Amino acid sequence: MIRLVMVLCLLAAAQLHASTSQELLQFESEQQRRLYAQLTAELRCPQCQNQNIADSNAVVAVDMREKTHELVLQGYSRQQVLDFMIDRYGNFVHYQPPVNSITIWLWLLPVLVLVSLLLFQLRRRALQRNMQGAEQPCEETAPASQQQAALDQQLDQIIERYRSTKP
Amino acid sequence: MRKVLFYIPLLAFLGLSLFLLSGLFSDPRERDSAIIGKPLPQFALPDLMSPEQIWTPENLKGEAYLLNVWGIWCPTCNAELGYMSQLRNEQGVRIIGLYYVLPEDPMFGEVFDLAKLQADVQSRLQAFGDPYQFNILDRQRRLSLDLGVSGAPEHFIVDANGIVRAHHIGDINPQVWRSKLAPIYQQWAAKP
Repeated sequence: MIRLVMVLCLLAAAQLHASTSQELLQFESEQQRRLYAQLTAELRCPQCQNQNIADSNAVVAVDMREKTHELVLQGYSRQQVLDFMIDRYGNFVHYQPPVNSITIWLWLLPVLVLVSLLLFQLRRRALQRNMQGAEQPCEETAPASQQQAALDQQLDQIIERYRSTKP
Repeated sequence: MRKVLFYIPLLAFLGLSLFLLSGLFSDPRERDSAIIGKPLPQFALPDLMSPEQIWTPENLKGEAYLLNVWGIWCPTCNAELGYMSQLRNEQGVRIIGLYYVLPEDPMFGEVFDLAKLQADVQSRLQAFGDPYQFNILDRQRRLSLDLGVSGAPEHFIVDANGIVRAHHIGDINPQVWRSKLAPIYQQWAAKP
């Protein structure tokens, strides 16, 4: 119980800390605040590679956050800030890669695979249907129950033949 | 036709294996630099040891050099000081330091103290070797941000006209220097 309370206290403290550190930043409008939050979430930290700059506490992420804040206050648009960062850190720094001759495969490949699987499946279906249509009707065979009876009879005969005749 | 179809899964598997195999030998930290081929960004920053001297891209021109982003807080940077001193003394490589100051945390009472920093740098260079012609102090890390620096150590080769020709993330050791940086440095150092 005490542990739970302590954990909750810690969580509350962390929350408080997070919210206060966020409120240290001044913005002129709610729109700017939202733009800043959006940008820091979609810019990727070049140092701790699977974190965005809002998450990371690497020095470079801190600097990029500061710069983003500064540019947002100067009235830069989302695209202008992104261009500013991409100009310095490359396409790497944005979570959404641009479409070019190499990255186009990221979008094309899944579609191509899907289409080829679909074609494959259709072809298979068609082939199966053809085979069914072409199949000759099988020669008349006795129903399963009659076959079973015949087999039983045979077995009985064999048993009869080899049964010990000693009294 | 059927035979070709029969081998398609095998070929696809081999292709995938090769692709994944090549991934084992690639460096996920490697990324393309955005600054290669561009001139140095504008800046006016003081010298670390004599702050009245202001360095700008203009007064760095004239000779190719290796710009080394470093700090005494960075163990890898300290480790490469010895080899870079050797480069300076034996091959005459012109090395300029860009001193990367870590942000101070006022909550822990940290303040920027230039005199202390100078003394610390001085003693560190005496202990490990001093490869630098001089050091530029990037206190706000603005130039580092403009250069696309993500940490220390990083190195740039800048030609005599102030155009960045190479960007190396990580330390310089004999292998990196010989295979990656020396050819570029020599190419641009040879030009007047």
